[in-house]
Amino acid sequence: MSSELLFQQALNGLSFGALLFILAAGLSLVFGMMDVVNLAHGAFYMLGAYLALSVVQLTGSFWVAMLAAPLALGLLGLILEPLLLRRLRGRHLDQVLLTIGVSLIVVDQIGVVWGREVRSLAAPAGLDGSVALFGGDYPAYRLFVIGLGIALAAVVTLVYRRTALGMHIRAGVEDAQMLGALGVDIDRLFALTFAAGAALAGLAGVVAAPVFGLQPGMDVDALLYSLVVVVVGGLGTLGGAVVGSVLIGPADTFGKVLFQEFALAVIFAIVALVLLLRPTGLLGRIRIAR
Amino acid sequence: MRRVFIWPAAAIGAAALVTFPYWTAEWESSRFATTVLRDILVFAIFALSLDLLVGRGGMPSLGHAAFFGAGAYAAGVATQRLGTDQLPLTLGAAALVAAALALLIGTLVVRSEGIFFLMLTLAFAQIVFAIAFQWTSVTGGSNGLAGIARPFLGGIDLNPPDRMYVLVSATFLAVVLLVRAVAGSPYGRVLVGIRENERRMRALGYDTARIRLSAFVLAGSIAGIAGALSAYSLRFVSAQDVGIGTSIRAFVMVLVGGAGTLAGPVIGAAVVLYVERILSSAVPVAETVLGLLFVAFVLLARQGIVGIGGAAWARMRR
Amino acid sequence: MGSDAPLIEVHELSRSFGGIRALDSVSFAVQSGERRAVIGPNGAGKTTLFNVLTGEIAPSGGSVRVAGDDITRLRPWQRARRGIARMYQRNELFAPLAARENVALAVSARAGPYRFVGTPSPAESAFADELLTRVGLAGREGVPARALSHGERRQLELAVALAQNPRVLLLDEPTAGMSPAETARITELIAGLDRTLTIVIVEHDMDVVFRLADRVSVLHEGRVIADGTAADVRGDTRVNEVYLGKVVVR
Repeated sequence: MSSELLFQQALNGLSFGALLFILAAGLSLVFGMMDVVNLAHGAFYMLGAYLALSVVQLTGSFWVAMLAAPLALGLLGLILEPLLLRRLRGRHLDQVLLTIGVSLIVVDQIGVVWGREVRSLAAPAGLDGSVALFGGDYPAYRLFVIGLGIALAAVVTLVYRRTALGMHIRAGVEDAQMLGALGVDIDRLFALTFAAGAALAGLAGVVAAPVFGLQPGMDVDALLYSLVVVVVGGLGTLGGAVVGSVLIGPADTFGKVLFQEFALAVIFAIVALVLLLRPTGLLGRIRIAR
Repeated sequence: MRRVFIWPAAAIGAAALVTFPYWTAEWESSRFATTVLRDILVFAIFALSLDLLVGRGGMPSLGHAAFFGAGAYAAGVATQRLGTDQLPLTLGAAALVAAALALLIGTLVVRSEGIFFLMLTLAFAQIVFAIAFQWTSVTGGSNGLAGIARPFLGGIDLNPPDRMYVLVSATFLAVVLLVRAVAGSPYGRVLVGIRENERRMRALGYDTARIRLSAFVLAGSIAGIAGALSAYSLRFVSAQDVGIGTSIRAFVMVLVGGAGTLAGPVIGAAVVLYVERILSSAVPVAETVLGLLFVAFVLLARQGIVGIGGAAWARMRR
Repeated sequence: MGSDAPLIEVHELSRSFGGIRALDSVSFAVQSGERRAVIGPNGAGKTTLFNVLTGEIAPSGGSVRVAGDDITRLRPWQRARRGIARMYQRNELFAPLAARENVALAVSARAGPYRFVGTPSPAESAFADELLTRVGLAGREGVPARALSHGERRQLELAVALAQNPRVLLLDEPTAGMSPAETARITELIAGLDRTLTIVIVEHDMDVVFRLADRVSVLHEGRVIADGTAADVRGDTRVNEVYLGKVVVR
């Protein structure tokens, strides 16, 4: 492989990793706080992308879509958590099953509303060209994705470590029950966390759409990748989402280039290796949730 | 008094089930009911095998389709590529391939519990799906394997739909007896013990990881047999058969029907297939209906239809 | 009491959780047939000690030997097979199963799990019922564990441990939460156990300790601060300091 191709693939791997971070962070956050693996996470991702499609059709602006879709998903999360999940507080496995049902409904309804053909979303004007880098041309949009991923990681870390909300979230990840006993409104915190997770999934959907397009089954791909990222990196920790996405992004990209048909076997090998050595993921904690 | 009636009644019911296409031949020449019932029974076998894990063993697997599909592909490949056309061989191959895959995946997932176990089974099954989707030379890739010929049982050709149905229903009855025997055996009680308190079971001297693995492999093998039957019934295998959709369908069947019971997975299979085949022609939102059903049962009737029936029965007797 | 070699040898056992030293170079030896009590204030490391002895937690250092064999690296189920049974402080029962079935699982453990035919053998059932009668649960064999009273559950917990036919019995606060009558009953039951069984008992109730124990080890902040007969320990100044105001020693 020429150094130019190598560099291109490296950037591809990084942009995919950045995308994975945006996608996986929400899943990891919800699990860390609520001990629930939101299996509708992929469906939320998909909904975000399709909503963006409609918003762009309506307003012509990708940026408005990038704002509106996550907000809409956040609102959806804000409704679903108290409506459904809260009733099963403490029954973690059942809550996960609930999210499966939600996923079935959301994905089917997306098909009803938007149809089941393959769609595409153009990158926003200004970012749809290439940038000359190290002798080759690289899509500007993918550079934007890398930048966005880093920026988001920075913002999230800042909120996480420097704000009161972040402190509550960190404490909640550690021991939500204790936090409730200390007088913090757990109901509101959980609802907000779930909403944030949904919003992040929606954001990932919008950002990914110009690169990957929109088609039935994209929810499953997104869910699988986010699960692989957080399992490898470590469930419940933001750092885990970073480590996981930095590992899986390039691994998947290079795997596809080198092994083509069996790229996923590369991922499989990484997941298996991590699990055998550290069952809770690279940075994860032991969670006994039933 | 009631005990005396159960066995003869069951025998009659079983006989009626197996001979269904023959005594409905007059008013059902299109064989639609037979086909639906056949598919229900195939999925009932699949759901019963999943219930061994979910209901009895407390191991919530969302990747069970990996073994169903593996069995289906094995049967298809055996018939189409290897020219094997004897049923015992192909069914045996399907069960073996599924068992081997279950051993591989099981070894990796069996040390985790609850939600973590669920996620891992889901992830690994999806990876199997991706391999099936891309390994075109063996699995036919996105096209799958089509036009699979049905095997022979000795000299009997199983191509006629009636005979295929008899095979499926007979296998279903055999699996029911098998699951019933396993559930009631000391091994079955050990599984329940692990489900209820794995820590204590270890303290008692049980190697719980290995026992869970054995249940995983057993359930996987039965799922593989269901998959082979599906391949022969539909004469078609696709990557969807290993996909997450199939895993979720089975889970919905188990939960809606009633986990941990013998009738539950069977009833669940009937309900899900009814929604998918019959309801969906009237109202094209089968998945939404299933999703709503699933959510409703998880929220309100966790023990499934069997649980509702049991509660109603208990209330009537008071 | 048999040969000189101790049945249980704990040597320099240490275990830290983060910065906390739950066990700090704990060493002691228990002779075969002995009744050893381990006492100490809350947080002294008693339950951690048991968790390390049963293999549920790995020590950061040190070793555990039973009958001369180093079992430090063995898993819990392997230790159970070697005859180590535990009665948990907070009941670890099979809630929806009947008392008899709880005990039956313990009895069946020796026969191995892969039996696909048959119901429990009559011998096993009889043994289970007899054990339940011994601990005072006669007539309650068919009751689900979760429907039993707290005292009954402690009795069942003991029955399950005994059903393993162990040679080392670890009792973690067997009288916790029991009424005086129940306490007296279970104490006499333990006192009556055969001397082929070696017992290590963690207790807060000093009456029980002095009734049952041949020797007492005192833990404080993860360290053994006293080790001797019950009378020795009662008179030990350090022990009295540590326990001042916490336990009334008559």
